[in-house]
Parts: sequence; C-alpha cells; structure tokens
Amino acid sequence: MLRMIKEKIFLVTVAFLSLLTLLPLFHILFSVIVKGLPVLLEGGIGFLTGTLAPPGSGLGGIAPAIIGTFVLVFLSSLIGLPIAIIAGIYAAEYPNSLIGRTTKTLLQIMLEFPTILVGLFVMQILVIPMGSYSALAGALALAIVMMPYVATSTEEAMKEIPFTYREAAFSLGLSRFKVVFRVLIGMARKGVLTGILIGMAKVAGETAPLLFSAGGSSRVYFNGIDKPVGAIPLLIYNLIQQPYENYHEIAWGAALVLMIIFLAIFIPIRLRIKEVKL
Amino acid sequence: MGLWMSIGRPSINDRFKISLLPFSALILGIFILMLFVYFTNSIQILQREGIGLYTTNQWVASEDPEREYYGVFAALYGSVYTSVLAVLISLPLSICFAVFVIDYAPARLKEWLIIATDIMAGLPTIIYGIWGAFILVPFMKEYVMYPLYRHLSFIPLFSFEPLSGYSYLSAGILLGIMVTPFASSIIREAYRMIPFSYREAVFSLGATRYEATKILMGYIKPAIIAGVILAFGRAIGETVAVSLVVGNTFNIHPSLFAPGYTISSLIANQFGNAFIYKYMVSALFAAGLSLFLIGLAVNLMGIYILRRGRHA
Repeated sequence: MLRMIKEKIFLVTVAFLSLLTLLPLFHILFSVIVKGLPVLLEGGIGFLTGTLAPPGSGLGGIAPAIIGTFVLVFLSSLIGLPIAIIAGIYAAEYPNSLIGRTTKTLLQIMLEFPTILVGLFVMQILVIPMGSYSALAGALALAIVMMPYVATSTEEAMKEIPFTYREAAFSLGLSRFKVVFRVLIGMARKGVLTGILIGMAKVAGETAPLLFSAGGSSRVYFNGIDKPVGAIPLLIYNLIQQPYENYHEIAWGAALVLMIIFLAIFIPIRLRIKEVKL
Repeated sequence: MGLWMSIGRPSINDRFKISLLPFSALILGIFILMLFVYFTNSIQILQREGIGLYTTNQWVASEDPEREYYGVFAALYGSVYTSVLAVLISLPLSICFAVFVIDYAPARLKEWLIIATDIMAGLPTIIYGIWGAFILVPFMKEYVMYPLYRHLSFIPLFSFEPLSGYSYLSAGILLGIMVTPFASSIIREAYRMIPFSYREAVFSLGATRYEATKILMGYIKPAIIAGVILAFGRAIGETVAVSLVVGNTFNIHPSLFAPGYTISSLIANQFGNAFIYKYMVSALFAAGLSLFLIGLAVNLMGIYILRRGRHA
C-alpha cells in the first residue's frame, strides 16, 4: 500500500515539476509578445528604421542597435570562423596529440566561461590601446564567445565521418590536406554549418561581452568599424535601467525584435538536426 | 589513429599538421593571454590590500588614492549564494524533466519537449533579464516574499523586508530557470544511455516505477553531479540577467529577500567608471580573476566527472 502511495506521489511530482520547468519559457514568450507587439505596432516601420526617442516621450526607433547587431555578428564571424573551424579540424585529426587534447578541453571550458570576463579582457587589450570603444572590439569579444561553439561542432562532425571514406580518399593518392579540405569537410558540412549558425544565434543575443567593448550607440546609425556601435541586447540592458516609462516600452519592443531574430535562426536549424550543444 | 598516420609521405603530413597548428595555438594563446591579463592587472591591488580584498566588505571609491579601499566579499558571497539557490531549484526540476522526457512523454511530444528546452538554453540572457526585472520581481515581491515576511519573519531566511523585491531569491530563481535546461540535458543524456537490460532487471524484481527510477538514478550519479557542478558554473558566470534582479547593493545578509551583489554584476556596474580611480580597475580585475579561477575549477571538475562516467 505504502509503495503504491509513493508511486502515485512520484508520478504526480514528475509531471508537475516537468510542467514547471517549461512554464517560464512559455510565460517569457507570452510576455515578450504581449508587451512588445503593441510597441512594434505603435512604432510602425519607424521603430525599425529610426533612432532612439528622447527620454519621457515617444518611441522613436532602434535601427542603430539592429544595424550594430548585424555588423557585430558579421565581423565576429569573419574573425572567429576560420580559426574555429580549423582548430576543430585539428582536434578531430589529432585527438591524441597534446595540442589536440588541450584544445578540446579548452573549447569545452570556453563554452561555459563567464562571458563578462571576455569583455573585460577585450577592453584591456583593444579598447584602451585604441582609445575608444569600437565595433572591432565588440566583434573580437563576440568572436571569442563564438569560437568554441563552431569548433566543437566541427570536431564532432569530422569525427562522425565513417573511417572507410577516409581510407577511400587516401587510396586515391590524395595528400592529407586534400583529403581533409576537399573530401571530408564537404561531408561534415552540415555539422559545421549547424555550429556556425548556433554560434551566430548565440552571439547575436550576447550582452555581457559587449558592455565594455562595443560601447553602444542609439542615435548614430553606423560610423565605421573603429567607432562605437550599438547592439540590441546592449540597448535593452541600458534602457531597463533608465527610469523613463517610454524607455521600458522600447526595451520590450527591442526584446521582441531580438527574440524574433534568435528564433528565426535557431528553430530552422533545430528542426533539421537531432542534437545541439548549448 | 596510427593507421592513417602512416599513409602518405610523412613530410606532407607534417606540413599539414604544422599549417593547422597556428589556429589551434591561437585559441590556446587567447586563453593564456586572458589569464595573463587578469593576473597582471590584479597584482597592483593584491600588493596593496592582500587577501583582504576577498575577505572584507568595504567599497570606498575616492578621488584620493590614499583613502581608496576595495573589498569584494559581499559580491563573492552573493555569487555563491545566488548560484547555490539556482542549483537547488534546478536540481529537482532537471531530474524530473529528464525522467519525464525519457520514460513517460509520448514519442511525438518528446521531440518537442527537447526543442523547447533547447530554445530555453539558447535564449538571449537579456530576455530573461527583462522578464525577470519587470515580471518576476514584482510577482515574487507581492505573492511570495511579503506573505512569507509577514508571517514567518522570525526565521532568518525570511527576516528582511522585501522593499524592492530585488534580492538573492529573485536572482536565484531566475538563474535556476536559466540553468535547468542545461543541467537537464546532461542528466537526460546519461539516463537515456542506461542499458535496457538494467531497466528490465530492475522491473523484473518487481520494483515500482518510483523504485526503479531511484535505483537507475543511483547508476547515473556521476552525470547528476557533473550536471550540478556545470550548472553552478554557468550560474556564477551569468551577468546581465542577474544584475537586473539582484539589487546591486554591497550587502551580506542571510535572508533570501535581501538585495546583494555578485562578482559579475559588480564588474558590469562598476567597470564603466572605474578608470577615474587609481585602484578600482585593478580591484575589478582581481574580482574577475576570482571568477575566472572558480569558473575554471568548476568546469574542469564537471568535465572530468562527465568523461570518467562515460568511460566507466
């Protein structure tokens, strides 16, 4: 009898706590839509093309932040992707070498690393020498955050290729360079691409690494890569901390825009593949 | 490995290896450079204050360098407090969710449940932040903190009047929500990998589902421990979501409802204007160093336990 009661309690607890796990997600999605959509509708197209309204009145627009986010994601990909993909290949090709092993462990650590520390680091090595916040510094910080995602998934994709393909490629008399870059990387492209997109989706939503590198910009569209840029997450963070009601509304609108960008990249990838590492 | 190492002329293989090496070395280099930057920038304040930096709670920013004194104990305390809360909240949730997905969810629902938690794990943290600051905190203050404070304030945990709602508890709950999908995916993977014959064996002994799950959980204990450790590491490094709900006050208080600080939110809040003071930059780098080392230790430990569990 007691066993059956325990069993019932157990099943109810599991069901209830599972529901509780997902409840916040739905509440967050719901809140962002309910609070953000009216802002987007009221602001209209101007919300996506204009610049920040003065404190206390109006909605203006968040265009500088949107542009900034795209610039930052593009630049950080430019810096981070080649390094990450090749490092991933190295870890897959030489899993037993010291560098291969160290790189692999390091990448796993970097996946979990406090991202604020990256921002502080970039400030010290790039922002201070250059004398100003810049898109370049923001991109470098994001590239460091992005690299482990791309490298890990490249490494895993390369390792999943059956050994026979490798043998076949070598038996054609190709050099190892050609085997890897002409044959194997093509076969692993799906995994690599997934890693790239996940990395991009991730850095598009990062705030902490940008706090002391990108600098933020809400009134100037884009000035060049050596000048400060805005970013949507950074804008939201700054607006929440302001006392003005209209800034909070803009923050919700911006959160909806950010969520749409994130989900637009993330959901298609996630539906195409079975597992992702986050 | 050895097999294809010997294929082809060694010189070409070596050239291949050497041409890829710089990229791997670059990642290693960035990491070492980071550690180096944190160490060198911390030296100044550590020479001045010694270990007192980490053990005192005093934050005196002054134009006069003589009077400056920085102690980050409150932030260390807050970081650990909120992260422990997060882990305590996420542990039952993530275990139950893992069990539900593997054992009870219908096949068609299963995939969607996993997709939902993946979205949760990847969702920009600032979205958690805005939700936490504008929705979670007012809700907690009104419906959880004040009722508990009014009736149970003789218990130290509930002894602080939740004036603003920004508190360790709000931060702990928000962090708990954020790390649960991550911890759950580690536990889920391990739980899924348990050989089917083990399940059969347990059930053939006449165990109820509760007893079977309990026994099987014992089997994947390393993964649960690793999940907890890695979730702790993730929680302690989180910045923006926490800094929006924790209150950002130099405070050391046992109560869940008291506002506090964390290392990462301290850095986020203070670093922008740190350069006008002589020692503050160094103090913040030293605070960052402690976060760096905690993060490194926690992650290495988690990865080690996870790998050992997999080989066993």
